[in-house]
Amino acid sequence: MIDKSLNWVDDRLGIAKGGRTFLDKIFPDHWSFMLGEIALYSFVILLGTGVFLTLYFVPSGHEIVYHGSYVPLRGQRVSEAYASTVGLSFDVRSGLLMRQAHHWAADIFLGAIAVHMARVFFTGAFRKPREFNWIVGTLMLILGIVNGFLGYSLPDDLVSGTGIRIAYSITESIPLVGTYLSFFLFGGNYPGSGIIIPRFYVLHVLIVPAIIVGLLAAHLGLLVKQKHTQFPGKGKTEHNVVGSPMFPTFIAKTTGFLFMASAVTFGLGGFAQINPIWQFGQYEPYQISYAVQPDWYMGWLDGALRIMPSWEWVGWGHTIPLEVFLPAVVFPGLVFNILIVWPFIESIYTKDTNYHNLLDRPRDRPKRTAAGASMLTLLFAVFFASSTDVMANFFQLPLLDVLWFFRFFVPLAPIVAYFLTYKICNEMRAAEGIGKRKRALVVSRSAEGEYSTVKSEPRPGDAHEELEAIPVPTYIDTTHPDLATAAGVRRVIR
Amino acid sequence: MSDHNIRLDGPLPPAALDDPHLQPATGHPERMEALAAVAIVIGMIGFVGFIWAYWVDASTQWQAATLTVGMLGLGIGTISWGKYLMPQGPFVEERHDFHSTDDERSAFNAAITGRGGLEVKRRGLLLGLFAVGGGIMTLALLIPGVRSLGPKPAKSEDPHGSTDVSLFTTNWRQGSKLVTVGGRQVMVDDLDVGGVLTVFPQGYEGSSPDQVILIRLAQQAPNEHYTLEPPGNTEWTAAGYVAYSKLCTHLGCPVGLYQEKTQQLVCPCHQSIFNVNAGAIPQFGPAPRPLPQLPLAVDATGQMRANGTFDQAVGPGFWERP
Amino acid sequence: MTARLAAPAALVGAVAVFGLVAFSSGPARADTSSTTTAPTTVSTVPGAQPGTVQQTPTAVTAVPSPSAAAKNAAPSNQGGIIYTDLPASFIAPGQALFAANCASCHGPLANGVVKNGVAIAPNLEGLGAGTVDFWVSTGRMPLENISAQAIRKPPRFNRIQTLEIAAWVQSLAPGQGTKVPLVKTAGADLESGNTLFTLNCAACHTISGAGDALAFGAYAPSLHLATPTQVIEAIRSGPGNMPRFSPGNITDTEARDITAYVTGVLQHPNNAGGAGLGGIGPVGEGFVGLLIGVGVLMLVCFWIGDRQ
Repeated sequence: MIDKSLNWVDDRLGIAKGGRTFLDKIFPDHWSFMLGEIALYSFVILLGTGVFLTLYFVPSGHEIVYHGSYVPLRGQRVSEAYASTVGLSFDVRSGLLMRQAHHWAADIFLGAIAVHMARVFFTGAFRKPREFNWIVGTLMLILGIVNGFLGYSLPDDLVSGTGIRIAYSITESIPLVGTYLSFFLFGGNYPGSGIIIPRFYVLHVLIVPAIIVGLLAAHLGLLVKQKHTQFPGKGKTEHNVVGSPMFPTFIAKTTGFLFMASAVTFGLGGFAQINPIWQFGQYEPYQISYAVQPDWYMGWLDGALRIMPSWEWVGWGHTIPLEVFLPAVVFPGLVFNILIVWPFIESIYTKDTNYHNLLDRPRDRPKRTAAGASMLTLLFAVFFASSTDVMANFFQLPLLDVLWFFRFFVPLAPIVAYFLTYKICNEMRAAEGIGKRKRALVVSRSAEGEYSTVKSEPRPGDAHEELEAIPVPTYIDTTHPDLATAAGVRRVIR
Repeated sequence: MSDHNIRLDGPLPPAALDDPHLQPATGHPERMEALAAVAIVIGMIGFVGFIWAYWVDASTQWQAATLTVGMLGLGIGTISWGKYLMPQGPFVEERHDFHSTDDERSAFNAAITGRGGLEVKRRGLLLGLFAVGGGIMTLALLIPGVRSLGPKPAKSEDPHGSTDVSLFTTNWRQGSKLVTVGGRQVMVDDLDVGGVLTVFPQGYEGSSPDQVILIRLAQQAPNEHYTLEPPGNTEWTAAGYVAYSKLCTHLGCPVGLYQEKTQQLVCPCHQSIFNVNAGAIPQFGPAPRPLPQLPLAVDATGQMRANGTFDQAVGPGFWERP
Repeated sequence: MTARLAAPAALVGAVAVFGLVAFSSGPARADTSSTTTAPTTVSTVPGAQPGTVQQTPTAVTAVPSPSAAAKNAAPSNQGGIIYTDLPASFIAPGQALFAANCASCHGPLANGVVKNGVAIAPNLEGLGAGTVDFWVSTGRMPLENISAQAIRKPPRFNRIQTLEIAAWVQSLAPGQGTKVPLVKTAGADLESGNTLFTLNCAACHTISGAGDALAFGAYAPSLHLATPTQVIEAIRSGPGNMPRFSPGNITDTEARDITAYVTGVLQHPNNAGGAGLGGIGPVGEGFVGLLIGVGVLMLVCFWIGDRQ
């Protein structure tokens, strides 16, 4: 029956050959290759919960009187966007769960991208032929951050409204065109003509996700076309991939992983409150709360803004607000551009034009590892700088001391991190056979009286016996048990 | 390994049931199967529980708990099946170079540069016209796509321009009455020393560029001026009141945090600190300029009024700002 | 083999523990009717502390005080706040308490002490009983050690003693300063309180009332322990770095609305979505999202995949 259907489809589409290759596709088993899947499944959850939310959210800045079930707001004039978000939290069954799961999934999505990207970077998986996929991934990171900010802004609550205000001023800070950009984006001087919520909405639910879906398809398509990288060892070469087949082993694991990601997201969605906008109230441009931070993935920009000295440039009848333009426009622009061109920088620097399918150990590329650690340190430092007030309050330190600390820490820490990492990598490389049982040194004296030192053979038991990898067989012939030998099963000692 | 290179073209070599590559990863498959089954059954119970929780409109926590148990059960069950019970191999896949042969490459390049390029060279005029036409089309489509988005910012400092299209103006005029966001008129006795109030020009309550923070620094007669250190303007104070634009000169957040004892205004967004006694000059933080000061006056009825407007654009810096 | 089984078992266990904690600490449900009833059930005993002599404020006003009636008009009652005059009999014991506990800094006449041209303690004359009540009932006075800002701690005096000290300080400048307010938050307008709190208070105390660090070592304290009386006293007297909000700025009715919002909603927030994560917004959320969200899923990766 199934055979018949498959044949029917193959007659028309010719899927059998490519389909077989696809089902036989080998996925490396190492756990770090699943980090990207966290991002993938968070994105799936984002799409699912997001569709639910669109059914109830009203993207409008139009003012109405709130009459919902949250009492301290009853009778207040709020925007439809805000009222509908509070409404879908309290007056739509499962609405709060879906909204919070959506928000947590966004936080996890970007966190997983960051971790995945760090893995790819430090192991050199971005090298030829995978530069395209590195760029596609970086673009998805950027779009993910943008879409996170857009979605965070939609409820029109006090905290996110402050974020929109800051976004307006950042746009305004761009020399020459900033004023025009912000006027066009918002429909006039801040707060604009009330169309920013609908505009953010169409960007958030349609345009940006559509681009991300396209890039995601390209990301996975390139992955299938170019096949996975793998760590060296165990019969792994530049010309093969060793692991589990797509069907059924990998499918089972990855489907289970989708369930696990859902479990964590919905668990957080019901037990850890996120963005309780009913407590924040409607945004008004003259109101503000202290301790307002953006979501974590925007924190590094906020931190850079906080610690920047007040270096406004004024001259020739013009003003360039460098204290905004540098940390909020130039800095992220530099970071993302460095990320995008890194594979090319590295290949120019190393003059390496070979294919690379086997991964590096981070310690074996001390300069790259040090550069990555330096960049991460920089991003973490500015990220922590975005919570200066919360830190000062929590640790009972003077606020200005904390700010001054970060003004020095942010530029200095990456430099220290670079040299420290470089040193550690070299030390680790120098220590041969690290993490393995030491082999005894045998010192012998020749007849001429010359001493020489050789390493003894590995101890019995240290050598690892395992199966040699075979191509995925078309399962399983139960009628010919004697084929076991014919299929070339060999044990190899490594 | 070469034994298997034929697998995609010819008849496929089967493996026997007892091939070590096909054995489960666990030594006790029946136990693991039982465990996976139990996990999936727990998951099923979880999902049924979620339907119950939804049906009775139980709390978000119950919904999340049941859904999480369901997802966990299914997840653990499926992963255990895949990880411990399915054939573990190791299996291998050959990798092939991506690049085409030299012949294929040169044929491809020739199709572009030779076949297409020749035609393009032969009709250079058409190509030029096509490029220009395409450029004009892009421009024509972009103009409404961008220009309709919003008004053009007003270039110069028109004191009576609308704040909707100009970053230079506010709605403060000579004699504007100070009112609260609720529209209540502010009288000279309304604030005690150390009091603070957000005010707007009457008729523009809640307007973003017009927000002003009014602080009473001393108990003075209506015609007296409170002495401010430069760059503060002493003449612009009245009855011990001083008023500054509430828009931070850094990023336009409302500078609503008034530290009364230290006489500082702090921006809650990025902790710029302004000295209230010295014309709100920034003492620390990223804000580059003092908050613009609003001239104040008290009329004969004790009503607080603006005695003019700001002498500069309020809020954060921008290119056209002189 | 058992080690491999341990991983899923540990996961199930961790989730179960997490669930129990959240269940036991979380509120019942997004049923906001509980929020409506909360303000009405808030005790109106100002500063009552376990283990100290307690006396309800109504009892204080019930004490016949001929001298107070002679000095001042009847207690003013506007917008749900009663500003009480403390009985004259409180003055003498108050002076004794002051001399024993406060005079070393503020001076025996409470007019402040200046050493080497630096005021080490302010003049209290004319600040009123309400101001004194705020500082003493929140435990900020007497100071334990001199720091940039007095911190809230368990009060040293019981309710009566506190009011006695306040009465004595008030008697130094009768009719001046902030009186001790009595406030009934029942029937207050929570919506109005919400709006006013956001406009006037959230810039320092944060929108959740959690408080935050200010410039030069100062900080805006958390409002989660404030009693209705203390909220009104703080609004009216502006302790420390806090601005003063006079009735011309925030009327008594509005002050009562704010109080109801602080003690009713902020101190009993509707955390329908689960654990409140400290009410500090995206900082806490980011840590949970990265450590628990991404972290747990990385552990799952670690379980699923090979580790060599």
